[in-house]
Amino acid sequence: MSVSIADPKMMASSSSTRSLLRHTFVLTRRSVIGRLRQPAVLAPAFIFPLFFAALGSASFNRLASDPYFTANIATSFLNYAVAGAVLQGVLFGSTSAAGDLATDIEQGFFERLLASPISRTAIVLGRLAASMVVAVVQVVIFMAIFLVAGARIESGPIGFIGLIGGGALLALAMSAMMAGLAIKSGSPEVVQGAFPLVFVLMFLSSAFFPRHYMKGWYRTVADWNPLSHIVEGMQGFMNHELSASQFAKSWLIPFVLAIIGIAFALRALNNRLAAS
Amino acid sequence: MTEQTVNTRTISDGARPFEVVAILVKRSMMRVRRMPSAFIPSLVMPVFQLIAFSGAFGFAVTSLGIKNALDWYVPLNAMQGASFGALGVSFGLINDMQTGFFDRILMAPTPRWVTVVSSLAAAVVRCVVPITFVVIVGYIGGMNTPGGFMAIVCVAIASIAIAVVAAGFALGLTFRMRNLGAATLTQFAIFFTIFLSTSQVPLSAMSGWLRGVARINPMTNILRFARQGFLGDVTWEQSWGGIIAMAVLLILTFIFAMTGIKKFDQ
Amino acid sequence: MTQAPIIATGLSRSFGTGDDAIKAVDGVDLEVQQGEIFGFLGPNGAGKSTTVRMLTTLLKPSAGTAFVAGYDVVKDADKVRRSIGVALQDAAIDPLMTGRELLTLQAVLYGLSKVAGKNRGEELLERVGLTAAADRRVGTYSGGMRRRLDLALSLVHEPTVLFLDEPTTGLDPMSRLTLWEEVKRLNAGGTTVLLTTQYLEEADQLADRIAIIDHGHIVRQGAPRELKALVGSPTLSISVASSETDEARSILARFGDLRPTSEGTLGVGLARGAEDVAAVIRALDEAGLKVRHLELDEPSLDDVFAEATGYRLEGADAANKPTESEAAPEEKKSRRGRK
Repeated sequence: MSVSIADPKMMASSSSTRSLLRHTFVLTRRSVIGRLRQPAVLAPAFIFPLFFAALGSASFNRLASDPYFTANIATSFLNYAVAGAVLQGVLFGSTSAAGDLATDIEQGFFERLLASPISRTAIVLGRLAASMVVAVVQVVIFMAIFLVAGARIESGPIGFIGLIGGGALLALAMSAMMAGLAIKSGSPEVVQGAFPLVFVLMFLSSAFFPRHYMKGWYRTVADWNPLSHIVEGMQGFMNHELSASQFAKSWLIPFVLAIIGIAFALRALNNRLAAS
Repeated sequence: MTEQTVNTRTISDGARPFEVVAILVKRSMMRVRRMPSAFIPSLVMPVFQLIAFSGAFGFAVTSLGIKNALDWYVPLNAMQGASFGALGVSFGLINDMQTGFFDRILMAPTPRWVTVVSSLAAAVVRCVVPITFVVIVGYIGGMNTPGGFMAIVCVAIASIAIAVVAAGFALGLTFRMRNLGAATLTQFAIFFTIFLSTSQVPLSAMSGWLRGVARINPMTNILRFARQGFLGDVTWEQSWGGIIAMAVLLILTFIFAMTGIKKFDQ
Repeated sequence: MTQAPIIATGLSRSFGTGDDAIKAVDGVDLEVQQGEIFGFLGPNGAGKSTTVRMLTTLLKPSAGTAFVAGYDVVKDADKVRRSIGVALQDAAIDPLMTGRELLTLQAVLYGLSKVAGKNRGEELLERVGLTAAADRRVGTYSGGMRRRLDLALSLVHEPTVLFLDEPTTGLDPMSRLTLWEEVKRLNAGGTTVLLTTQYLEEADQLADRIAIIDHGHIVRQGAPRELKALVGSPTLSISVASSETDEARSILARFGDLRPTSEGTLGVGLARGAEDVAAVIRALDEAGLKVRHLELDEPSLDDVFAEATGYRLEGADAANKPTESEAAPEEKKSRRGRK
């Protein structure tokens, strides 16, 4: 890593807000560079979501002949699947980022950072900001591919912004919670173990199939799952005219989760500092 | 001793194949018992997928007249669970290569085919529990078996065949690559082969490219063979395609494994 | 007339192709006689393990031939394997199994029935002193115990020829002695043994004949006694102030060949034996040089090795060794291991 901790610019700052921002920027850059160097990790965050979307639209397009579907849910199954793919990509990307953080802690790089004059909050915020940047890039690439494949954003350019914003906020929420987990446990294995849970949560939502068609206890879980509402907000951007409820679902919910997550992460950071 | 003859008191010429297979299978099961954490995913994953697929995508099949989504998915997930045994075989082999124990196996006068068959047999023994588990969960969820007992027979045959095919493929890759990349590649191969077939919906419901791929995918025939008893009667028309597909895959992957182990004799 | 159990002619092995090809073993000729212990001595990377792997059919030679137990290692690999026992550098065991289970497995792999295999296992466990630990997982065994188990595994089918690749590397002195005892016992029972080692004492203690291998070639071969006699003269090593080194060296050179000795010392092989020590001291004294330290050693395998290769073995790696043998002692990275 070529980021110099002993960068005189960073050590000489007077204003604490300014130094926080500067530190955050430097650490963000390091994080993003670090992730781009691991294409093997990013590939599942792209390949699997795209594959499932392709598979879904080829397998379930019959659903588009159901009037309820076309009236209330989506114009085609491809248009439906876009949001789920974005959700999957962003969630997987955030989990793997937390894995990097846990590895850093395990290998002691984190301790070195703590010993440097970089503000503690900056360390965590750096990671989170990087996640948001990567998520934005991810969403843009996904949208490009899907638009080429025949999807359409019915809510127009603002809907496109809505999707990007939603993806970024979701990444923030997920990364914050995972970062908290990483800091608390200090073990990449624990963080990796969280991924199957995320996977399960995605299935128990509207990410892959509309919950309208689910039954029984499965339907109940999907109804209560925040992921269902987040992804439905995004599906709204894709398939309906612009409306406030889409922002409420795909921005507000992740935002609230992000606050909780950041609080959790900072608390975990304080505990770790107090302990060492 | 003045003669350079092989000590015939302790070695017989064709080192008793059945005994060797039996003891190597026993060894494989013992490894599972002593390291159960490696085995748990192969139990949990198929059951999870069964519940997730039937819960999330159930409508896609029930809207086609299938009574219970489980009828459609149980055979699929049973076969998937069986294929996980293949990964265990690959991991075990790589472990042996790393400890050097594989050298001992290579050095022994056991014929190469016996070594390969032992691993395949181990995969078969390992797949019994996941298959049973999936079927039991299916029954609990109200799965139907209009084909009666033959339904279970078909799904068992198909799952065991898949276990052997996947294991043979894993062995062939592991002998050639000699590292964990072989296990990962096997996972990918199994994943794509299963999903690019009639895993989610019947051929008639598919569109475009997927239908084309699924038609030529042997897994489609095998799934048809495995599922028939859960959707109706077991008939010859629905069986022969799957039987041929299984036979061909079994032969091909066995050859793949055998040519792989022969590379060590170079 | 019986054929020697191990015969290698021009045995070679290269890795890689074209310009980057590494010749790990380059034209090895050796013949091990029935009932002897043959020591293969050399540093890491010299080609010992590669040679052993070729002789035990685990690796195909790039050139040359080898016959083990009367069979061609390439054409009759299977027959060779039935006649040999092999214990390689890292004990080839499965840590999850118990000692007893491993021995039974090995026996069945070699053609015994399960019952006969179990009995044979018991026999061998007792022989190597592992009966008490037999039902513990091998992963819990100490290094010495693993080696003993490895040895037992190699003996399951009562081979006539035994290959041991660095059998005591990494073992504590007690375990080492135990293993030496066992090897001697096996040899007394008629087994021919080829062992590789980087320990001079091991070769000295066990081997009837040795071959020194360096960079893939055999540079010396013969009984330890004879090889030492060839080196002949005792080594006198002295240390003087660094400013006086050049002069001291030219004085020593009058009394015999200069030899590599430990860092900071100069060494000479006294051509006329120990009686020349007084003359050397006198000459140094007359030149006004001050001798800080003096040592006289009779030739050892260490000397044989140094004379053959130009550097000292104990603790050396082939990769680290210096490239010429005429370098001044303080420039040389020679290390002399103290026992």
